[in-house]
Amino acid sequence: MTVLDDASLPTAVGVVEIRRGGTDSPVPVVYLHSAQGEGAAMAFLEALAETRRVVAPVFPGFGASEGLEAIDDIEDASFHVLDVLDRLDFAQVDLIGLSLGGWMAAELATRWPDRVRRVVLVNAVGLYVDGAPIKEIFGRPLDELAVDLYADPDHPVAQMMRALAQSEGSVDQIPFDLLRPVIQAQAATAKLGWNPYLHNPKLRRRLDRISAPALVVHGEHDGIVPRAHAEAYAAGIPDARLVDLEGAAHMATLERPGAVADLVLGHLTG
Amino acid sequence: MAATVGRPEPTVRFFSFHLMPYPGLPADYDGPAWITCPNELFDPVLGGEIYNRYIDELLYAEEVGFDGVCVNEHHQNAYGIMPSPNLIASILARQTKRIRIAVVGNALPLYDPPTRVAEEFAMIDCISGGRLIAGMVVGGGPEYYSFSLNPAHARERFAEAHDLIIKAWTEPGPFEYIGKHYKLRYVNTWPRPVQEPHPEIWIPGVGSLETLEFVAKHRYAYMGIPYFHISVFERMFSLMREACRAEGYEAQPSQLGWLVPIFVADTDAEARRRYEDHFWYFVRRLLPGINISPPGYTSVRSVENVLKGAATFALNLKTWQEVVDGQYAIVGSPDTVAELLGANIERLGVGNLLGLFQLGTLPAEDTHRNLTLFATEVMPRLRQRFGAAPVATTGPIRP
Repeated sequence: MTVLDDASLPTAVGVVEIRRGGTDSPVPVVYLHSAQGEGAAMAFLEALAETRRVVAPVFPGFGASEGLEAIDDIEDASFHVLDVLDRLDFAQVDLIGLSLGGWMAAELATRWPDRVRRVVLVNAVGLYVDGAPIKEIFGRPLDELAVDLYADPDHPVAQMMRALAQSEGSVDQIPFDLLRPVIQAQAATAKLGWNPYLHNPKLRRRLDRISAPALVVHGEHDGIVPRAHAEAYAAGIPDARLVDLEGAAHMATLERPGAVADLVLGHLTG
Repeated sequence: MAATVGRPEPTVRFFSFHLMPYPGLPADYDGPAWITCPNELFDPVLGGEIYNRYIDELLYAEEVGFDGVCVNEHHQNAYGIMPSPNLIASILARQTKRIRIAVVGNALPLYDPPTRVAEEFAMIDCISGGRLIAGMVVGGGPEYYSFSLNPAHARERFAEAHDLIIKAWTEPGPFEYIGKHYKLRYVNTWPRPVQEPHPEIWIPGVGSLETLEFVAKHRYAYMGIPYFHISVFERMFSLMREACRAEGYEAQPSQLGWLVPIFVADTDAEARRRYEDHFWYFVRRLLPGINISPPGYTSVRSVENVLKGAATFALNLKTWQEVVDGQYAIVGSPDTVAELLGANIERLGVGNLLGLFQLGTLPAEDTHRNLTLFATEVMPRLRQRFGAAPVATTGPIRP
């Protein structure tokens, strides 16, 4: 098994964390995480790292990454990701994004199509689809949210979310050190997606700018993003293929790391 | 016309605060009173009756000798049906002659551009002859849902709107204001306020460190929001004193305000009997939903402080004994209420007592009697105890 290392990368907005490793490949794979900040999508990243060079930048406001003060919206986010690619000296990448990360990947691929060789959007937000709203993610009880995020109620993260929601300890028992990063990550997501809610109204008509072949993945039990969004992405991107993934809800790269990695590798080599 | 001129500033000022709650939620509705509480539940005929009744209750506070009245702003909820406190304040400005009118406050980030606040506050100040207290507030968590306004920008927008309003009041216009959130090429506020350089400014809060530091820095007054255990106010005001010391001065009592529900009746037993159900309607029917905290609304450094307070929030109350022990409401005979309020004013060191004399479903007669008893039996004793000059009443006190 290939293990990824943690490193830090200075950027225009501040020092950000990155996870990196893998086998040298001509075009590196860059993974953009979701609003859950799944730095722990390790099994998925490690599966890719068997045959690819993999970098997963941690977005400002998540983990120890700095610079959230300098980011106000999805445009700032896109320029930040571009800056990360520049600083890593990546002329062209294979770009994978889950949910919020998928939105960033689509923004990047519309704005700077030359920088993206292949793109994979997994349960991506970013579009508005009339009659198929993205479900509320802000301010909902964690146990309820867990049902939308994970098809398997016994997934370790789903179990943890339920336990947190049901804990009624005294104030002294609140784990503030664990809570602070979560609160900051939510603030980061709100900056990008509070209003318009998790979408850029201009993105849809720009999708035809994407020159990279795209794989659009929809987790069949996704409780957050309706399938209509995957359909809209697949319809708007000139060269796109839509795949339904069984046994996965929203957090597909955590829930079915092997299956998503197989789909991704198939797309990258195809 | 500025009626307070020539009268010594009392050590403790007494305000009657009205939330204007909606008393008509049906018994079978058990959802939140905020954001998603269906507006079909609002009966406009009842609404008209209670608006007029509540305004009468505010006007009565002047008659019986209060120093001022307070109104506040909340949106899309049954807890307080005053989305525009400025409308009510303008009526009060015209209908009263002496009392301070405190709007606590306008939720600045909800006004775009916020020069609207500078204009409306200046109008109220002009109409009242300089009796406005200008409250400024970030807005409650639910309001960021109700306005789809980004909570992650709440603090910056508040700070920027505040600077713009003060500038609009104090610097000659027209001028250009180019900030991050507001870009205005011609700021030239007509009218300007009567009070120089501007009305007294109050900021309500629940203990976020940024707000305390902001208030201390500008030497404004901090109003502790109610519905917490009394110990939370102690901690909040001690943090406020520290913040003032960090700015190089001691906090004055006039810079601190304590907002608390108050009910006076002839005896302790009667007070509880007449009050308790209305209090629980307020806690169990109108508070649910008020405490939602959207992402980015509370800074990471303030989370611990705010959450420690939140653990004692009134929503968690189960028994009347807890209400009494935590002093969530001061309820009893004139003797009991005077004693408890006096002890807390001293302990907290506050110079402004903001009483909620109507709460939840408390009916008109009980509210009226509460105000009368407080003004005749409690307030004089507290004024004496805290060395404050008595205030002339403007009309006969109707028992």
